[in-house]
Amino acid sequence: MIQRASTFLLLAVLTAVVLPANVQAAEDGELDALHHSANAYYLDFEPFGKVQLPRIFVIQHEDGSYGLELFGSTASAILNGHFVAEIEEHGDETDSETHDAEGAVLEATEEHAEGDEHVQAAGKYGGISLEQLEGHLVPPGGAHVVIDMSISRHLFFAWIGMLVVFVIMTRLAGMYKRGVGRDTAPKGLFQNLFETLIMFVRDDIARPNLGDKTDKYLPYLLTAFFFILTCNLLGLVPFGATATSNLMVTVVLASFTFILTQMGGTKDYWMHIFWPPGIPMFVKPILMPVEVLGILTKPIALAIRLFANMTAGHLVILSLIGLIFSFANIFGPGAGYGVAPVSIAFALFIYMLELLVSFIQAYVFTMLSALFIGMAIEEHHHDHDEAHGDHAADTNAASVLVS
Amino acid sequence: MILFAASLLSPDAGLIVWIGITFLALLLLLRRFAWGPITTALTERESTIAASMEQAEKALAEAKQLQADNTKARRESEAQAQAILRGAREEAERLRGEEVDKTRDQIKHLQESAQAEIEREKQSALDSLRQEVADLAVKAAEKILHENLDADRQKKLVNDFLSDLPKN
Repeated sequence: MIQRASTFLLLAVLTAVVLPANVQAAEDGELDALHHSANAYYLDFEPFGKVQLPRIFVIQHEDGSYGLELFGSTASAILNGHFVAEIEEHGDETDSETHDAEGAVLEATEEHAEGDEHVQAAGKYGGISLEQLEGHLVPPGGAHVVIDMSISRHLFFAWIGMLVVFVIMTRLAGMYKRGVGRDTAPKGLFQNLFETLIMFVRDDIARPNLGDKTDKYLPYLLTAFFFILTCNLLGLVPFGATATSNLMVTVVLASFTFILTQMGGTKDYWMHIFWPPGIPMFVKPILMPVEVLGILTKPIALAIRLFANMTAGHLVILSLIGLIFSFANIFGPGAGYGVAPVSIAFALFIYMLELLVSFIQAYVFTMLSALFIGMAIEEHHHDHDEAHGDHAADTNAASVLVS
Repeated sequence: MILFAASLLSPDAGLIVWIGITFLALLLLLRRFAWGPITTALTERESTIAASMEQAEKALAEAKQLQADNTKARRESEAQAQAILRGAREEAERLRGEEVDKTRDQIKHLQESAQAEIEREKQSALDSLRQEVADLAVKAAEKILHENLDADRQKKLVNDFLSDLPKN
C-alpha cells in the first residue's frame, strides 16, 4: 500500500518537474522529438538556456585561397558578419524573415524592428534567434565552407564520454600498477565493477572469436565497448545527448572495425571473397560480387544498428512526453494533466529499457566487431574434402540467389 | 518535421573527422596507459592464482601421501609388534614345553638307570649267592662223598644238578 502510494507520489513529482520544463518547448512550438535527437551546435539546458559551442570552419574564399574561421559561438559567427544562417523553412511558422533564395541574409540586428516578440526571440540566444542558431551557416558572398569542423553537441558529448573513459581507465590502471588487483584481490566497488566488465569483454567477447590473437585486438574492443557504453549512458543523463545516436559517430566506429578486419584478413579470407573454393566454376563470378558486398554490409549494419537503437529509445520517450502536450492542445489543459502520469510512467519504463539497451548495444557492437575480425584472421587448415563441406552452405546460398 | 528528420541522417564531414581523430587518439592513449597495464596485471594475477592453486594441490597431495604413509607405517609397526609378541609367546611356550620334556626325560633316565642298577645288583647278588650255594653244596657233598668220589667228578655232578635247578 505504501509502495503504491509512493509510486503515485513519484509520478506526481515527475509530472510537476517535467511539465514546466516542457512548457517552454511547447511554447516555442511543438515538442519535436526528432529535433531533440538531432545534432546541433549548442548544449540544451532548457529551461535554463542554451550554451552555444565554438564554431570552426575551413572556408575557401572567392579567389580560391583557403582560410580558417574560428568563433566562440554561433552568435558571434553571425553577429561578426562573417557568416549568415540559412534558415530551413518548416510549416508556416517562420515567414522567411531573414532569408531569400540567394542566401542573402539580413543581419540579426535588423530583425529587431519586426516586433516585440521577434526582438525578444532574436535577442534570446546571444543576439540571434533560435532559427538562426539552428540554421545552416554559410559565408556571405562567393566564399564557401569546405568543411565545418564546429564542435557540435554530439561531438561535445562524445568527447565527454572519451574523457570519462580515459579518466576511469587510467585510474584503474594506476590501481593495478600499485599492485592492487595484481598481487592482491581487486579492492572496492570501482575496481571490481570495471574489472568485471573488462574480463567480460576479454573472456566472453574477444577470446571465443579471436583465440590466440586476442591480445592484438583487445585494446580496440575494450575502447569501443567502453566508449559506446559511456556515450549511450550519457544520453540518459539529464541535459545530456547521445553521441551514438548520431550516424556519423557510429559510422566512424564501424569504419575502425572495417579497417581492422581488412588489415587482419588472411590469404584464406581474401581467397574466400574473390575465388571461393569448393563451388562450381560458373558460380564463382556470381558469388564474388556478393562476397564483396558482404564486406561492406557488415560494418554498415554495425553502424546503423547502433545508431537506430540509440535514436529509437529517445524518440519513444520524447513522443510519450509529447503526448501530454498533444492531449493538452486537443482536449484542453485538463486532459494534458490527466494523461501526464500515464505518459511519464511509460516514459520511465522506456527509460529503464534504454538503460538495458545501452549495455546490450555496446555488447553487440563489440561482439560483432570481434566476430568479423575473428572471421577474417582465422587460419583455415582444411583439405579439399572439408572444403566441400564448408561451402555446401555457400553453394546453397548461391543457388538461391541464382534462382 | 521532415526536414529535421533529414538532419538525423545528414552527412557531417567535420564530425566524422573529429570523431575519427579523437577516437584513434583515445584508442592509442588507452592502449598505452590503461589496457596495457590492466591486462598485464590481470594475466599476471591469473597466472599467480593458477600457480598457487597448482602448488596447493600438490601440497595437498603430498600431505595426503604423507598421511597415508604414516598410517601404513603405524599399521605395519603394530602388526610387527603383534608378531613379535606372538613369537615371544610361542617361544616361551616352546621353551617351557622343552624344559618339561627334558625334565621328564631326565627323570625317566634316572628311573631307568636306577632300575638297571638295581637289576645289576640283584644279578650279582644272585650270582654270588649261587656261587656261595654251589660252594656250600660242594663242601657239603665233599664231606658226604669224600671217600668214594674224587673232587672233579663230584663237582660235575653238583654242577649238573644246579643247572637242572630253576634259575631263580
